[in-house]
Amino acid sequence: MSAPATVTTAPVLSFPPPIFAKLSPSPFLLAHLKPSASNTPAIRPNGRVPSEHRTPTINTNSLTHGSGSAVVRVGDTAVVCGVRGELLLASNIPHPRRDNADRSDTEISDLGLLVPNLELSTGCSPAHLPSNAPGTLAQSLSQRVLSLLQKSDLVSLQDLEILYRPPVTDPDMPDETPETVVKAYLGLYIDILFISLDGNPFDAAWLAVVAALRDTRLPQAWWDADREMILCSDSVRESRKLSTRCTPIASTFAIYMPGTVQQRRSSQESWMLADPDGFEEELCDETVTIVLDCSKGNTSGILKVEKNGGGTVGRALMRRMLSEAERKWHDWSSALEVTDAV
Amino acid sequence: MTDRRRINGPRGGTNPPIFASSLTSPSTLQATRPTRTRQPDELRKIYLKTGLAPSASGSAYLELTPSSPASHQANSLIPVSSSLKLTCTVHGPRPLPRSAPFTPHLLLTTHVKFAPFAARQRRGYTRDASERDLGVHLETALRGVIIGERWPKSGVEVIITVLEGEEDRWWGDEVGAGSNGVGAGGGWGMMNVLAGCITVASAAIVDAGIDCVDMVAGGVAAIVGNSNARRKRQLETAEDRQTVLDPCPSEHENLEAACVVGYLQNRDEITELWVTGNAGTATEDLIDRAIDAANAARGVLVEAIKEAAQSKFGIKDADNGEKKSTAATQDVEMAG
Repeated sequence: MSAPATVTTAPVLSFPPPIFAKLSPSPFLLAHLKPSASNTPAIRPNGRVPSEHRTPTINTNSLTHGSGSAVVRVGDTAVVCGVRGELLLASNIPHPRRDNADRSDTEISDLGLLVPNLELSTGCSPAHLPSNAPGTLAQSLSQRVLSLLQKSDLVSLQDLEILYRPPVTDPDMPDETPETVVKAYLGLYIDILFISLDGNPFDAAWLAVVAALRDTRLPQAWWDADREMILCSDSVRESRKLSTRCTPIASTFAIYMPGTVQQRRSSQESWMLADPDGFEEELCDETVTIVLDCSKGNTSGILKVEKNGGGTVGRALMRRMLSEAERKWHDWSSALEVTDAV
Repeated sequence: MTDRRRINGPRGGTNPPIFASSLTSPSTLQATRPTRTRQPDELRKIYLKTGLAPSASGSAYLELTPSSPASHQANSLIPVSSSLKLTCTVHGPRPLPRSAPFTPHLLLTTHVKFAPFAARQRRGYTRDASERDLGVHLETALRGVIIGERWPKSGVEVIITVLEGEEDRWWGDEVGAGSNGVGAGGGWGMMNVLAGCITVASAAIVDAGIDCVDMVAGGVAAIVGNSNARRKRQLETAEDRQTVLDPCPSEHENLEAACVVGYLQNRDEITELWVTGNAGTATEDLIDRAIDAANAARGVLVEAIKEAAQSKFGIKDADNGEKKSTAATQDVEMAG
């Protein structure tokens, strides 16, 4: 038995990038953000520069049932949102409010007319497999969508009310015109399903909600006094589009700090990563979500700023994030406009 | 009962809107009933694509084009019929947790869930009996295909989300006829959903790279009674009954029996068989026709997988150029 004549050199231990990313994710990301050669720009593993966000693809009205729907794809995150209007009879409300003064401010949230529910357990990622109850992330995301819906004043109450003016019954008193009463409300069930999840679920879910609400068409509804029920017209011409009063866009940024917790205290190195994907999200402790609405004039109206974990973000970085969020607002809202035009 | 983990609707409870046109006399409503324009052996067009969810090991999306043209429903808010839309993700094979008992083969788990907006009536968030039933049927269909012995102590999850389901019958019957009117006895839509589930799960399993003996495809066939014969309540003669492939339940006033199979073409094996209704002596013929439908669906399945393989590995389809052109359009028309 003789050894083969050709002597092979010892194999160099090298991994393809995906395996390196899996084995030591943090150094992998750091190597991308802080390249050894000074002339190479910092590019994230997903090919974007740190402040770059992904471009969304929006499709609306693709579902048959329901009043409005949207499919939003942001990178590898894909969301389906369906809006369905259902009737809530005013007589069924357990404790109706008596006073009519400035009720419209909080009535949508008091009655619970907007019901967003977010579902992650659709097999969208290995971390969220179907079980009976939605996990913490799904619950918190649903709650964030709900509070933003209520605070942003996106849907006006007038669109959801079904009014009825009773006919004049008493011919002897022609001056007394009967008062217009609200007979019913349209409640909107907003269901958000994740088809695929690769980071930044809130931005994508919120964009899907806005796109689906802009697509929503509510039927003409009236109180039928003879049948004593609410009837709707199925004619598209008589139906009306739900008017959305603003265009809030959410922008999420993750702050990446290399090293262990002890090392982080001493070093001041940090990177802002706009619209993080699933890989980056796992390595970042600190996230900032800014919801902007620039539709009213040029000034950016901040609807919400949310910051979780860490204490790296200072005033200067916050300002930079705000301008990045403003840039993203223009990009994403124009994507919405394009969808509406189709 | 309120669900503490979800956001609940208004406390007073809501009802789906009632359209004034659906309260008109049944005869005027009947005029809007959709009819089958396809040949009895013609399937609806199937759109199938794999690799939609990169975070999963394998995934696929299946859609059936609505058989009624879109212009039909342009001026009404009531959709004429729905079209099946399914997404499927496969997670695994992956090691079972240490606490799980030893299994010598791959442990298959299936989940089928309808989205809340999948049907005319809003569906619940938790899986109901029919969804669990579909999951069990799907599991039997797939278990015979996967070579489970190659992965001991591992598990794989097949999760299907029904974005849009098939209806059990035409919506006008639902409004007007009550429980014992025409088209009574539901469950017809489930057959189509199951056939779609089998096909889409098969594509996702191949996308995940799990070893299979063959690709399983789902197919549905149904015996449709003539509407005049239905009124006579006599279905004795053969002329009154017709076997159709891929029935759209809203297009047929009286479905007599339906059959769904999970069929392996290369091995000529059936892994899943489900017959409902009274097929009588025609059961064997019905099964054969369902196999025809499965073979047609398999054609789309093969094309979709071939296309995915070409883009994944950069393989040029050298032997025939004309097949590549059909793959490029992604929409494969099927006729029998």
